[in-house]
Amino acid sequence: MSRRSRTAAVIERELRTLVRTRSLLAVAAAFALVVIAVAGGAVGAPGGYVSLTLDLLTVIEVLVPVLAFGVIYRSIRGDAERSELDVIRTYPVSRAEYVVGVYLGRTFGVLVVVAASLAIAGALASFTSPSAASFLATHSAGDSPIVFVRFAALAMLYALAVSAVITAASAAARTTREALAVGVALVVAVAVGVDLAIVGLLSGDVVGSGLDVLLGVSPASAFRGLVVELAVAPALAATPPIPAASPTASLLGLAGWTAVSLGIAVLAVWR
Amino acid sequence: MTDPVVSLSDVHMGFGDVTILDDCSVSIESGELVALVGPNGSGKTTFLELLAGIRRPNAGTVSRSAPPSRRLADDIESRRDVAYLPQSPSFRPGFTAAETLQFYASLAGTSIDPETALGRVGLASAADRRVGALSGGMTRLLGIAQALVGNPPLVVLDEPTSGLDPEMADHIFATVRDVVDEDRAVVVASHDLAGVERVADRVIVLADGAIELDGSPADLRAETGVETLRDVFAALATSSDHDRVVPPAEAAATDGAPSTGTAESEVSRR
Repeated sequence: MSRRSRTAAVIERELRTLVRTRSLLAVAAAFALVVIAVAGGAVGAPGGYVSLTLDLLTVIEVLVPVLAFGVIYRSIRGDAERSELDVIRTYPVSRAEYVVGVYLGRTFGVLVVVAASLAIAGALASFTSPSAASFLATHSAGDSPIVFVRFAALAMLYALAVSAVITAASAAARTTREALAVGVALVVAVAVGVDLAIVGLLSGDVVGSGLDVLLGVSPASAFRGLVVELAVAPALAATPPIPAASPTASLLGLAGWTAVSLGIAVLAVWR
Repeated sequence: MTDPVVSLSDVHMGFGDVTILDDCSVSIESGELVALVGPNGSGKTTFLELLAGIRRPNAGTVSRSAPPSRRLADDIESRRDVAYLPQSPSFRPGFTAAETLQFYASLAGTSIDPETALGRVGLASAADRRVGALSGGMTRLLGIAQALVGNPPLVVLDEPTSGLDPEMADHIFATVRDVVDEDRAVVVASHDLAGVERVADRVIVLADGAIELDGSPADLRAETGVETLRDVFAALATSSDHDRVVPPAEAAATDGAPSTGTAESEVSRR
């Protein structure tokens, strides 16, 4: 029995759980409705894909952590609560295989919901976009579906990182109440908390320069910076003289959050 | 004498300043049904968790070994040394009993026919039933079926009959006996002393984290001069000095009355 097969068994179990749990389906539907509603509200407004991307940027920034929390926080904690984790430990499955299986299975669900919601939003924009060029995208080549495709791809990266953080909370918490509290705290921290800390450092002159790199430390800022730099900026006629964020630092930031969170989850799930 | 399936040697276990198990040594062989009895808080669950490898002792060693025949038969990577059924087993909601077993078979690297596996514990008719719709007894039986996945040589069951009606408890004990007869070692914690007395080959009595008595039900009765395991347990529970139980027979002997204990009994006293 290979490592891959054992991980695949855990992934399959998580996917079946997602499909069969009505509350998770409700969370997914609510997320999709909000994204589509925001996209629908922008229909007919000037700006096309660039405008839609900017409209959805904050929504995705805040709601992806909420979606990941709803889908993931009870995964490992639920197994522990039922003492099923103790049963699983008697099988030849390692901590890493189990955690990675749970993470991949649940995160796949998150990614599908995010991708489907954004696909519908993008389709709405493509069918209803006004023909006139907007002031945001001043030439037709700039405002192309590529802008929105890049935004969606970066939203996936953001979802991967945030899902890893919630997986760690689910593994490290010792009670459901603790998982709930830690999960909510992490959602707030990921969505706004780290950003506020960075603003605090700047306002206190603790950090003078290198803001573009520092923003990579916060998952939300890293995502926002990547969207601005890699999706929106190429579509603009005039490139801002000062970069909003360092794409390299932002990518490393998201990768770091993902890796460190999964590492914590593997260490904490059982000892 | 065969190699032990599991051995505890001078095991000490505690949480902070609280000692749960102290200086416990025991060896369990294949084909033995060992019952672990003792008052609440005596350390039974911790003892079982050490056997199952869920906890590691603060001091001492726990060594498990699969008999050579099983080692050769199974892929070393997918070999399952021990199975565990917790005190209040519960399984991932939304799955049927058959799907639950198939998941565990996937983890063990083996394929099973769920109906056959469930049939071994008398649960074949519930194969397609969601685990949330199973009664407490049926959930325990599903847990025992799960415990047999991967053919482990040691099965550890924590109070598998607690809260069940007598008929279901009897069925579970009979099922456990069948599991032992397949050349496995089973360690079961239980407060159902009548059931234990009926099916166990050996009884380990824990009190205050120490092994007080260890022997067959008949030997324990003979040693302590009482008629039932329940009386043995009662003597322990009412003893104010758990370092050493003074059974009625011994007390009577001290008073000059004849002892009913047998010189040949193989009860280990700690």
